[in-house]
Amino acid sequence: MNKITVTFVVNGKEVTLKVGPKERLLDTLREQLKLTGTKEGCSVGECGACTVILDGKAVSSCLILTGQIGGSEVLTVEGLEVYGNLDSLQQAFIDHHAIQCGFCTPGMLMSSKALLIHNPHPSREEIKTALEGNLCRCTGYEQIIEAIESVANK
Amino acid sequence: MISYEFLTTQKIKKALNYLDKFSKVHILAGGTDLLVNLYKESPRLPNFDYLLDISNISELKFLTLVDKFIEIGPLVTHSRLINEPLIKNNFPVLAEAAYTIGSTQIRNRGTIGGNIVNASPAADLLPPLIALRAEIELTSRKGKRVLSLEEFLAGPYKTKIQVNELLTKIKIPLLGDNYYVDFQKIGRRKALSIARLSLALVTKVDEKGVFQDTRVVPGSATPYPQSLPETEKAINGKSIFNIDLEEIGKITSKEMVSITGERWSTPYKKPTIAVLIKRALKKIIEEAKTNE
Repeated sequence: MNKITVTFVVNGKEVTLKVGPKERLLDTLREQLKLTGTKEGCSVGECGACTVILDGKAVSSCLILTGQIGGSEVLTVEGLEVYGNLDSLQQAFIDHHAIQCGFCTPGMLMSSKALLIHNPHPSREEIKTALEGNLCRCTGYEQIIEAIESVANK
Repeated sequence: MISYEFLTTQKIKKALNYLDKFSKVHILAGGTDLLVNLYKESPRLPNFDYLLDISNISELKFLTLVDKFIEIGPLVTHSRLINEPLIKNNFPVLAEAAYTIGSTQIRNRGTIGGNIVNASPAADLLPPLIALRAEIELTSRKGKRVLSLEEFLAGPYKTKIQVNELLTKIKIPLLGDNYYVDFQKIGRRKALSIARLSLALVTKVDEKGVFQDTRVVPGSATPYPQSLPETEKAINGKSIFNIDLEEIGKITSKEMVSITGERWSTPYKKPTIAVLIKRALKKIIEEAKTNE
C-alpha cells in the first residue's frame, strides 16, 4: 500500500505528513499529531465526537481520508484557545455546566463554533440543527444550547 | 482485509485517464457512505484495487442556470443544495429533501452525485430528482452520454454507469408556471435518519384547478426509486375541488405492492404510503386554492 504525502494546515500551522491510504483525518489528528481532543466515538458519522472544522465547515473526521485534504485548513478543539485565552464558547460551556463526562464536548464545541462563524446570532432552532449530528448522553442538551445562546446573544 | 492504492486528482481529464488505465477503481467523493462501508468492511463494497478521490475536482462543483435548465455539478454538497437561492427558488422539493439528510456534518460532505451513483433504495434525493425529470451526463475518455435519471438506475445500489465513466452533470429542466411540489419523509427520528418511507410529488394545477403532468416518486418503497404511473394517471385530470384522496391513497398502496409483492414490511408501508400521498396532495391543494 502506497503512502501519500499531504500538506495541510492544522490550527494555523502547516504540516506535511506521510499518510496511509486508509488513514482517516481522525487517525492523523490523534495518532500522528497527538491532538487527542478530537474523540473517536462511533466511527460511522453518527455521534459527532470527532467533529472538526474543515475549511470553515463542521465535518466528521472519521468520514474523511487524510489523503483527501491536501491544501485544506483544519481547526480542532485545541485550536480554539488563543494566547492562553479560552474561546468564548469554551468559557460559556464551563459557566453553563454544559459538560458532564466531557466526551462529546470537543465535538459540540466544533459544531457550535462552525455555526457561529457563519451565523453569529443563530436562533434556538438553528442551534439545534447545527448540533443534530452530536450526541450527548449526560447533559440532556439543554445546558449546551443555553451556553451557545449566551454567546450568540452577546 | 480491504487494501487499495489511493489516487487523487483535481482534474476531470486525469480522473478519466485513471479510470481508463486502471481496472477495479472505486470512486470517492463526499465519503459519507463509502467511509462507513470501509470501516465496517461491508459486504456491499465491491472488490477494488484503487480508490480514486475526486472530491477536490473544482470543475465538478458548479451550479448554474443554463437556458431553461439548472445544471448541477455532482460534487455539490447537500448543504449547498439547501442554501443556494437557485435551488430554493426553483426546486424547493430538492432543498427540502436535502435538508432531511443525515446531520450538518454529513450534509457538509455528502454530495448529490454520490447520492445518485450510490443508488440506495432510501436515497433522499432520488425521488425529487426523478420527479423533476433530472437528466445525468456521463463522461468517459471516449465521449459523453446523457440519460434520464430514471433510466440510469438499474436496481438497488445498481446503476448503468460503466467502469470508465464519471458522472459529470445533473441537469434539471425548470418547471413552468402553476407547478407545485412537495416532499414527505418518515424516519425513526428527526435527525440522522434513513428514510423508512418518503415521497416526492410534482404536479401542475391549471387555471381550472385540474391536476396535470403529475409525477409521484416514493423512496424506500420499491427496490429502487421509480415513479408510480398508475397513481399519476389517477391524479391527472382530477380537480383540486373534488379529488377523492382516499381513492388515490388506495391506488398508490396497490401500485407499490404490485411492484414489491408482499414483504415483511408491507403491513406497515401499505397504509403509510397512502398517508404520504394524501398529505402531499392536501398540502398542494391548499396552496393552489390560496393562489386561486
